[in-house]
Amino acid sequence: MPAQSPAGPVALWRSRSGRAAAFADRCPHRGMRLSHGFVRGETLSCIYHGWSYAQAGNCLRIPAHPALTPPDTIRVATQHVEDGGGIIWISVGEPAAGPPRFEGLAPLRSMVVEAGVVALEAAAGTKAVGGLLDYTHDDRAVRLLLASEGQARTLMHVLVDEDSNPDERIAASRAAEALRRAAEDIARGGIAR
Amino acid sequence: MKLYDYVLSPSCYKARLMAALAGVKLDIRPVDFHPGAEHRGPELMALNPAGSIPILEDGDLVLTESSAMLVYLAAQAAPQWLGSDTAGEAARVQQWLSFSHRLTASLGAARLHEMLLRPGNIDALQGQGTAALRELEAGLVEQHIRGQRFLALDRPTVADIACFPYVALAPDGGVSLDPYPAIRLWSRAIRGLDGFIEMPGIHRLHELKPEPVPELGET
Amino acid sequence: MTRNAMIDGWYPVSLASQLDAHGRSTALMGEPIEVRRGEDGNAKVTGGNGRALPACIRYGHVWSSLGDPQKPLFAIPEADQPGRRLVDVGVVRVRCSPLRAVENFLDIAHFPFVHTDILGAEPHTEVQNYKVEIREDEDEVWATQVRFYQPQAAKSAEGGITTEYMYRVPAPTCSILYKTCPPRPGEWDVITLFVQPLAEDLCDVWPWMALFDDETPTTDLIHFQQTIFVQDRSILENQIPGLLPLDPGMEIPTRADLTSVAYRRWLKRHGYTYGAQLVAQ
Repeated sequence: MPAQSPAGPVALWRSRSGRAAAFADRCPHRGMRLSHGFVRGETLSCIYHGWSYAQAGNCLRIPAHPALTPPDTIRVATQHVEDGGGIIWISVGEPAAGPPRFEGLAPLRSMVVEAGVVALEAAAGTKAVGGLLDYTHDDRAVRLLLASEGQARTLMHVLVDEDSNPDERIAASRAAEALRRAAEDIARGGIAR
Repeated sequence: MKLYDYVLSPSCYKARLMAALAGVKLDIRPVDFHPGAEHRGPELMALNPAGSIPILEDGDLVLTESSAMLVYLAAQAAPQWLGSDTAGEAARVQQWLSFSHRLTASLGAARLHEMLLRPGNIDALQGQGTAALRELEAGLVEQHIRGQRFLALDRPTVADIACFPYVALAPDGGVSLDPYPAIRLWSRAIRGLDGFIEMPGIHRLHELKPEPVPELGET
Repeated sequence: MTRNAMIDGWYPVSLASQLDAHGRSTALMGEPIEVRRGEDGNAKVTGGNGRALPACIRYGHVWSSLGDPQKPLFAIPEADQPGRRLVDVGVVRVRCSPLRAVENFLDIAHFPFVHTDILGAEPHTEVQNYKVEIREDEDEVWATQVRFYQPQAAKSAEGGITTEYMYRVPAPTCSILYKTCPPRPGEWDVITLFVQPLAEDLCDVWPWMALFDDETPTTDLIHFQQTIFVQDRSILENQIPGLLPLDPGMEIPTRADLTSVAYRRWLKRHGYTYGAQLVAQ
């Protein structure tokens, strides 16, 4: 699937054995986005010509030349991936420490908000601390993990109490929708002014 | 059963896809929609004064609305696709069948504008399309929380087939699907169904086939 | 900005069959143009400032130029051969470089993955060696003896066959494909891709065909070609960078890509760089 990182767009994929990897979202052959590709076993293949890549980013197979062992120089840039607590983290370069854990919380859904973090904070009426924004809507607390995608767009991961029942989870999802609407209204107003 | 069909029309594809999934053989009558505008010609206007395709003809039954075609095909050959008869679930099928027309009016019109140069206010169409995709995403998230993988039930129904084509082809109209993880999972589930067929713009899910053993030196 | 060498070329701007007195508003390389049928029945094309542009009708399309074409439109001798059916496929707009659209048309290695079970299928993915040359007399790129396994050669055909192709690039945004013609061994079906550059990253693509086929209904032929092209469209709109990189280093060609290598070299030599990127970024 496509995702964003500070180093640019990435193709995020999970192999059959369950390992996640993040590639620069561009096949070095013809520039096709690898996030449109397909996963077979432990490899990601480009949809355009079927060139397939191992998790380390090296090219394993060029279908137009089945007898050829691709040279090691054909590779896609990879980023470090950590998969923990239902959240996938990417780091550009080697991270000094593992990603944060959110004890007692379960991830519910991810949403793109067409507004910056400042507008989300204004809509929630609180400040984000360490990328986490607490939002209370109809007496229900929702925690939002925010990842900026530039000034005007934010990827928002909705976290709920891991003991929440389905009704509470649906309510949390709807609360996050309400927050997004409010933040986008604020962002639009900002542009209009 | 005869389908007046255009290969690039997502609405025609709904009928072809439902027929393939239900195991119904259609007699396809290709219509030169573009560039010939045959759907506006006398033969087809006599059949459908609205001047739209698809048209499904079975004896003296003539259907011109794709949702009705899905219901007809399912009722004939695969009634499990109609959904269930509990009030809530039956209503949910109808909810998404009706919703699918908003997809046609927004994402479908944006695609016609961007691909086949039809007139339209592209910014407004893309904005309405994005709003509809967000609604669908939220609906699928809630279904997932209820333990159900499809729009109305834990199995696919005509509602899924009514919504799938214009959603899958949204990028043709310049509307990205990148922000919608639940739509991506749902779309893959539909593309992986037994009997699924593609249309241009929806690629084969190559991961369903194992890595082939290459045939070397064939001529 | 230097004068682009592509300014003096001919480009398709309309289907001849859809030319009317009312006119069609379109664009050529960023400049709005108007295409209509004049009172004398000929095509009239006017540029953004109302100036009359060169116009001619050939191969089912109206052609025009923003500059001063030094040569007549390239020849397709097969177009005048008796017995061929000439098929207007109609326009498809693509948000991509016009040069990327042509390069994709010259490529066969993507058939099994993008035109699955129609023009190619796994495991028949190997591209055999073929010949590529820049013909100096005609100043055209040619690829010949291109062979590829085709799973569904014709509607009636059971099983696959090896189809032979020849590719020809007579102009920077036009390509002609010659393909094995099952009903007439020894003759070639002609399938063209005429690309109208609207902007460096936007084009209108006008496929056109001249075939020996007395049986297949015209609508089926149109739908087949539209299917193939629209399958390519989602690839073309997702290549990075959007402009075609002409300097080596940005992309990695293999033996299967020799036509593309020659095409890029030919574009660079002539300064045909509208829709291209020269310095790797």
